[in-house]
Amino acid sequence: MVNLKLKLARVEKGLSQQDLADLVGATRQTIGLIEKGRYNPSLNLCMKIAKALDRTLNDLFWDDEE
Amino acid sequence: MDERNKQIALKVIAMMYFFTFISLLGIMFYKQFTLGKTVADFEAVAMLVTVNAIFLISALLFFGALPIRRLKFKNIIVLYIVFVLMGSIFTYVKYNIVQKANLSVEQLAGKLFIIFTLTALLMGFWMLFSYLGKRKIEKELNE
Repeated sequence: MVNLKLKLARVEKGLSQQDLADLVGATRQTIGLIEKGRYNPSLNLCMKIAKALDRTLNDLFWDDEE
Repeated sequence: MDERNKQIALKVIAMMYFFTFISLLGIMFYKQFTLGKTVADFEAVAMLVTVNAIFLISALLFFGALPIRRLKFKNIIVLYIVFVLMGSIFTYVKYNIVQKANLSVEQLAGKLFIIFTLTALLMGFWMLFSYLGKRKIEKELNE
């Protein structure tokens, strides 16, 4: 499932995929795949991303529709 | 290299290891059963496969890849008998059916003694690694 919340939060913060990747110690491809819903990140990486974007895990990764 | 790269690398390495192992087994069986070579002709491959398999299971047990449960004495005995039976059937098929060596009952009994001993040693070895792995995890949990 495409993670639009993550993409929106990143764009709102004015970061490119590469910028976010550098902040959390991942590759641009990994960030891209997470946004496309093609890769399930570890909790550790989720927390790093949430901190880098000043959001909570719920804001970025919780699916409200379920 | 991030966590995704590491995951992919580990998967590829595991797959390549699996294919290498299966290929070595294939070479061994081909030499033994199709070409009819003696063990001396492929001793190095046989040794490599055996040591690899033994240490692979030991490592899986030690690092917690296989669930470790306390077994009842009765279950250990049943497991031992199953291993001995499997070893005996393989030995019988190998010598008396495939190689047509027609071993006598005494000769088969001699082989059975080796199977009994090796199975006990192997099970003891794996139980030791299971115990050490369990102790390692318990130690980490108590830290």
